[in-house]
Amino acid sequence: MKKRNLSLLLVSAALMAACGTPQPNTMLDEARTEYQRLQTSTQAATVAPLEFKAATDALNRAESAWKDKEDTEEVNQLAYLAKRSVSVAELSAKQKAAEQIIANASTERDRVRLEARTAEADRAKLQAQQAEQQTQQAQQQTSAAQQEAAILQQQAQTAQQQAEEAKAKMAEMEKQLQTLQAKKTERGTVVTLGDVVFDTGKATLRSGSRRTLEKLANALKQNPNSKIMIEGFTDSVGSDESNQSLSERRAEAVKNALVDLGVNDANVTTRGYGEGYPVANNKTAAGRQMNRRVEIIISNDQNEVAPRTEQNGSASE
Amino acid sequence: MNKVSNSNVKSKLYGMIVAAAILGGCASTPPPNDLVLVAEAAVSDAAAAGASELAPAELKTAQQKLADAKKARDEKDQKKAKLLAEQAIADAKLAEKQARSVKAEKAAAALQEDLRILREELNRK
Repeated sequence: MKKRNLSLLLVSAALMAACGTPQPNTMLDEARTEYQRLQTSTQAATVAPLEFKAATDALNRAESAWKDKEDTEEVNQLAYLAKRSVSVAELSAKQKAAEQIIANASTERDRVRLEARTAEADRAKLQAQQAEQQTQQAQQQTSAAQQEAAILQQQAQTAQQQAEEAKAKMAEMEKQLQTLQAKKTERGTVVTLGDVVFDTGKATLRSGSRRTLEKLANALKQNPNSKIMIEGFTDSVGSDESNQSLSERRAEAVKNALVDLGVNDANVTTRGYGEGYPVANNKTAAGRQMNRRVEIIISNDQNEVAPRTEQNGSASE
Repeated sequence: MNKVSNSNVKSKLYGMIVAAAILGGCASTPPPNDLVLVAEAAVSDAAAAGASELAPAELKTAQQKLADAKKARDEKDQKKAKLLAEQAIADAKLAEKQARSVKAEKAAAALQEDLRILREELNRK
């Protein structure tokens, strides 16, 4: 009885060995481990799908052979080939990653170059703008300077014109004064009106003197800015006071007559010197007549006529 | 240039299909002598890809297996020849892949270095 049980036990054990879990296989374990690493630590599944599938299929084939309890040699062979397949997939993933970098590097290089060129272009543009601004400023300055110069030139021209006009006026006045026997002295041009223009012993002007005064007035109006001094003189007959008074009133009378004829009274000053500054001998009648006179002095420039002194006094010397 | 002098386009294609089948775990494979020829082609391809320099150990393994496969074939041990030839093919493919992958990584590293230098140069300006 025991012998039969034991043999039954042996048979069932043999059967169990045949139908139960297969023997562990080292090569297949290694293949499994490597495949797991391929799955979890690499991008092979996504970047190298064909090689990844091949590795998967190879492992599956080895697993099937092992599960079906095929020859150990057969299982080992398939497991070895699966390992090689996994390695190939791993390397494919690395290669693809490198190729991606190669592809990107070209784009990246272009991008970096473009950035640098753009930055350079921007810098150049900025410099050009600044240069443009400076040029504009310089031009503006030049333009302003030119305008200033033009204004100054015009001013100079105007001044010159005015000077020439003044000169012309002066010349015209001088010309006309010459017809009145004017004499040039250091105080100015002197026109002398003789005693004959006045009523005897009075400061009233005779009608016959009108033409002379008109000529004088016209000459003076040629040069309206010139300053005029009118000085009256008498002979030595009569008192100093009455002569002083007469000489002053006669000078005034000439002034009024000239002003009535249009001469600007602001430019005219009158003075009387009485018996002073005789030009002839008071002992003769002719001499006394010569002393009875009014002198009109027109200044050489725009200034007031200089006061009479002993040095510059006489017009007839 | 092509080390296997008698391999034409057709047999190259045949070799590729067989190698793919081996690496893909395909059950049925060709007769042993065909496998040895395919293995020879695969080893030659690996050498052409630069494996002697970039994957020397892997190439040596493949070459050894090939030699063993030939020996087994000559000794009329069909089964052993088949097993070794299949392994040689897989080893050669690995050696070839290793060589190509290292080449690509070197090129990538060189380009990255170039880019770094370019950046430096441009930033200096």
